[in-house]
Amino acid sequence: MSQGEGDWALDLSHVAKTFRGGVQALRGIEMRVWRGEVFGLLGPNGAGKSTLIKILMTVIRPSRCEGTILGRRVGDQSVLARVGYLPEHHRFPDYLTARQLLHYVGAMGKINRKERVQRIGKLLDMVDMTDWADKKLGSFSKGMRQRVGLAQALCNDPDLVLLDEPTDGVDPVGRRDIRKIVARLRDEGKTVFLNSHLLSELEMVCERVAILLRGEVRLQGTMSELIDRRAGYRIRLGCDDDVEVGRAAVSAALPGGVEVRERELVFKTAEAKEVQPAIDALRQRGFTISHCWVHKPTLEDLFLEAVVDPETGQPMHVGAARKGKG
Amino acid sequence: MLTQTWAMLVDAYRELCARKLFWITMGISALVVLIFAAIGIDEKGMSILWFRVPFGGAAEDLLSKKMFYVALFQGWGVTLWLGIIASILALVTTAGFFPSMVEAGSIEVHLSKPISRLRLFLTRYFAGLLFVAIQVGVFTTASFFVLGLRGGVWLPSVFLAIPIVVVFFSYLFSFCVLVGVWMRSTMPALLLTLLFWFSLYILNTGDFILVGFREGNREIVEARAARIERMERNARKSIVELKASEGVENYEPTDEEIVATMPLLARERAVQKDDMESVRALEQWTRWIYRAKSLMPKTSETVALLDRWLIPADERVEAQIRAKAEFQAKASSRNGRENTEDDLPEGMNPFAIKQEMESRSVLWVLGTSLLHEAVVLALASFIFVRRDY
Repeated sequence: MSQGEGDWALDLSHVAKTFRGGVQALRGIEMRVWRGEVFGLLGPNGAGKSTLIKILMTVIRPSRCEGTILGRRVGDQSVLARVGYLPEHHRFPDYLTARQLLHYVGAMGKINRKERVQRIGKLLDMVDMTDWADKKLGSFSKGMRQRVGLAQALCNDPDLVLLDEPTDGVDPVGRRDIRKIVARLRDEGKTVFLNSHLLSELEMVCERVAILLRGEVRLQGTMSELIDRRAGYRIRLGCDDDVEVGRAAVSAALPGGVEVRERELVFKTAEAKEVQPAIDALRQRGFTISHCWVHKPTLEDLFLEAVVDPETGQPMHVGAARKGKG
Repeated sequence: MLTQTWAMLVDAYRELCARKLFWITMGISALVVLIFAAIGIDEKGMSILWFRVPFGGAAEDLLSKKMFYVALFQGWGVTLWLGIIASILALVTTAGFFPSMVEAGSIEVHLSKPISRLRLFLTRYFAGLLFVAIQVGVFTTASFFVLGLRGGVWLPSVFLAIPIVVVFFSYLFSFCVLVGVWMRSTMPALLLTLLFWFSLYILNTGDFILVGFREGNREIVEARAARIERMERNARKSIVELKASEGVENYEPTDEEIVATMPLLARERAVQKDDMESVRALEQWTRWIYRAKSLMPKTSETVALLDRWLIPADERVEAQIRAKAEFQAKASSRNGRENTEDDLPEGMNPFAIKQEMESRSVLWVLGTSLLHEAVVLALASFIFVRRDY
């Protein structure tokens, strides 16, 4: 599919935010999200994910920001009529019923009453809360609130939906339901921007992801790009074989392309043709090949790779950076 | 645009209805109106429900039925209940209005909507005033019928209590909003607002007391000046008569001769000088307090506006004359004899306070108070609009 400039739901560049006290939450974010895709935002605590979302939703004012959201300048409030948002740790008023909350949010999104009435019924049904529609939110569990929260984010039939930790506090059934809703939104052509700590959840629904670390985009791309680039053959030798000797044998056949990890020979290529000389070399020297497979990293692997300091090999400290302290 | 405004008003109404204190206040309001309705007045005296409370003479001679109910409504219902007790309850109820909106998890829902922060702020502010408007509206409507059915007076002007009390409350609420938005916490907002209100009360009381003393002292100075003039005249007359008896015609006595003839005069003149100094000092102080008050909201004077608009001027003057006569009669009875022209007035003149307050223009009372409110709101809205949440 070829996509042009007008197809970006989010086109951000130089997004920076320094809070009072010199805390640099964002240090020049460059990010693009295509219309109609499910985009995942990852990062450790304090990486700046929520700050970025809040900037998009005009809750926080950026120190610097260039770019657009649905073709309009970031900060233009009129575009918010076409955006849905589920905040992290939301606190909806306890005195409202689920239906009243949706009416309130819909009205604030400039949806007329007739349209709201029609839409709210469908949304409550979608999040499986119809039976609880007229009960006060104060009596809801965390998971139920999250479902209602998701419904309110969709109240204005948005083109772009930003979900900040949507599965937080939700049971496995609820998570599956939320995944289905996200898939349905994608099928309807809506853009979904997901921020979650649950990497397995993102892996299942996202087409592209970005990993944020200390206010910067560390890694960005489609799932297949990121995973395929890091996919590679792995060979497990027999129990009696010396792996280091095996590595030495393979290195001669495939110089610089192999390393040992947990008694496995790890190749940087996923091309079958390229590993054949290595297999031949092992066979010639009498090694037993117990397993040979193409290993694809999980999102968690990518995440851990991204947050590891290349110099020390240790995970970087969480949290935002202070100005002048890198 | 209206959809959003209406949604916010409805939400504020629901929020208020969800607060127990709202219903407690409404319940007490109903009780106040019931007590108000239970009190009656006729030619035999006062009555509370079916119990008669006779007081000397015909009650209606002292106070017309209309004046009685209007005074009860104004003094008890508006000034005491709505102006103090219900306002404190309203502040307790609404102090959390902004802090609850700006807390994390709630503000995002509001700010992520296509509505400007300023409009969000102002709509929420006016929605907060809805509490008092509903409360005063219900109370005033009930009072209107009590006045009509019990007092036989159908006085639509009692509905002026609604805007007056709402405006009065808005002075305090705006301050409460400023602290609430700034500190994002209900308790400091409430406590600092009560402290602010108390400061205004102290300023007002200081103003009233000083005006009372200033006017009282002015009267003393005038009365003493007349007394000194009389003493000088008498002394001069005695000297002239004495000189005439000695054959000196058209003698013009010197001041030393006058003082020598009337030794008390020197003391009176010295006291008069001190009193004039006091008046000058009091004038200076009242000027300063007046200027300070010009910068602050005038809570008492705003509520007292209802007095001006509820009771016709001639009836107010008549009531004041009657009250002044009663005050002077009490002063005489304290002296144990009828007051003579040599008696000086009391140092404090309570009627002057009322006159002074009524002489202050509505524009000054409301205009400067609303200006203060506008400044406070501008500051609060600036904080609200500029802040990162």
